[in-house]
Amino acid sequence: MVEKILARASGRRSVQPGDVVVAEVDLLIMHDLSGYLTSRVFDEQVGGEVRHPERVAMVFDHHFSPPTEDAAAMLEANRAWARRTGVHLLDCGNGNIHHAVVQRGLVRPGAIVVGSDSHTPVHGTLGALAVALGNDSHAGTVLPYGKAWFRVPETVRVELVGTPPPGTTARDVALWLVGRIGEGGLIYAAVEFAGPYVKELGFWDRWLFPLLCVDLGAKCSFVEPDEVTEAFVAGLPAGAPDRLERGDGGEASTVLRFDVGEVAPQVACPPTVGNLADVPAVAGRPVQWAELGGHAGGRLEDFRAAAAVLRGRRVHAGVRFNLVPSSREVFTQALQEGLVLALHEAGATWFPPSTGSNQAYNMGAMAPGESMISTHARNFPGRNGSPDASMYLAAAPTVAASAVTGTITDARELR
Amino acid sequence: MKALRTTTRGRCWTFGDNIPTDRLVKTKYVVEPMEVIVQHVLEDLNPRFPLDVAPGDVVVAGKHFGQSSGRAIAVKALRATGVGCVVAETFARTFYRNAFEVGLPVLELPGVTDLVSDGDVLIVDVAGGLFRNETTGVERAVPRPDAFLLDMLEAGGLIALARSRPELFEDQRR
Repeated sequence: MVEKILARASGRRSVQPGDVVVAEVDLLIMHDLSGYLTSRVFDEQVGGEVRHPERVAMVFDHHFSPPTEDAAAMLEANRAWARRTGVHLLDCGNGNIHHAVVQRGLVRPGAIVVGSDSHTPVHGTLGALAVALGNDSHAGTVLPYGKAWFRVPETVRVELVGTPPPGTTARDVALWLVGRIGEGGLIYAAVEFAGPYVKELGFWDRWLFPLLCVDLGAKCSFVEPDEVTEAFVAGLPAGAPDRLERGDGGEASTVLRFDVGEVAPQVACPPTVGNLADVPAVAGRPVQWAELGGHAGGRLEDFRAAAAVLRGRRVHAGVRFNLVPSSREVFTQALQEGLVLALHEAGATWFPPSTGSNQAYNMGAMAPGESMISTHARNFPGRNGSPDASMYLAAAPTVAASAVTGTITDARELR
Repeated sequence: MKALRTTTRGRCWTFGDNIPTDRLVKTKYVVEPMEVIVQHVLEDLNPRFPLDVAPGDVVVAGKHFGQSSGRAIAVKALRATGVGCVVAETFARTFYRNAFEVGLPVLELPGVTDLVSDGDVLIVDVAGGLFRNETTGVERAVPRPDAFLLDMLEAGGLIALARSRPELFEDQRR
């Protein structure tokens, strides 16, 4: 499928892995930080007009409200640049960059999506070819020409079969896979997630798989569009696609098969995403912070799971449990389902839609010795404040259960 | 010109596996001026590095170097230290791409971490596909990167390449 998309967008009949092609880009997404860096490079080293401003979106997601004068000035510079060039601007409060552009209907199956956020490949969940490029790609060729260069990747199909035991979520399976395949285990590959386990998941659970491909070192990742993709896209503002790009099943050079039938709930421990443990192996470690949010979290599914864990329980007095919807649309739905009141009354705190504590721009900075468990995608030391703070990554039920007890806790133990 | 950009000789600085861009340039420095950033590159992993790194030196790392955020500023900061080349077992692909785009030579060489120690004098020629440890005498031939990548490196990066050869990026779908 990746080869078909790249061939079409580069005006060729076909392409082969290893070819370098220059292809038309359908959407460039930038957040407040990458947008600031990219627009500076563009203005200072390239100049001229943005050729297709309607194909560029800037989303303010690291900030939901600038906490310093410098941050306010940076956002103002971004707004001025967006007004001058005419690109889409999704200002503070719209949500996390990736969730927000999907909810707006800006990502289409079969499209080429680029962005300098390393989780840009997550848009492969819609059957797009989505790749993280650097600021110089955006400033040098995407903004002035609407183009980018790509080396055609080899496709590796990851087939997931089996049904995990009760209490194991799609997030647990996704984390477990990083441990199995290994960080950097699929460098430069286009990873297709397939097999009955993936195909039976809903759209936002599928989302968690292309999200992790950056940790495997992959170039991009996708789930081949099907009826789930089509129904999801049909419900977005731009409506149903004209056509769904499908592969012919022949591109994969390697097929990896995993049985997920015995996967236990997982925790990624410091210092990297691939340092995984079954929850019982690390249960009892104290946490002062818990958070549902980030590129991997803040989904409606996460708040439903947390509400189920917190029903009849309260957040531990020693824990701040922060809830960050991934988009305005998710917050609306959480309100309508009564989740906002239920989680508020249980002692959790709602924050505006954003990328949450990722890199501690608005919130989530930690002092030395503190620990956080979250649905975020990253846990590198120093990412949220002190390099001597600890970040654990887990699924929403584990995060919520840990918020209840003040230590890393297996949600199955609270039943 | 070619030799200047793709060949380097200098002391070796070793780092481990899975080093994220966060550790090259911490988030709190990303929007600072380069003269500030460059004083903090990799400081958490080796406090001597930003103080003692010299032009032409070579960073040698393990697997998946430059993972995490795609920030090109991490590559620009490494280039700003004067490092002449980064050699790693494997690179995170956004880092690898960014390196050629901003004109920092990088070379992928499986097993390289077993061939070097901190302080060894290394010669690396990316365009010529050669890695040599002068201190130990060990030498390895390495496959050359794709011609497009070498063109970019020799032009001084992607923006320079697009300026000198705009026809590469004009519309092919007429």
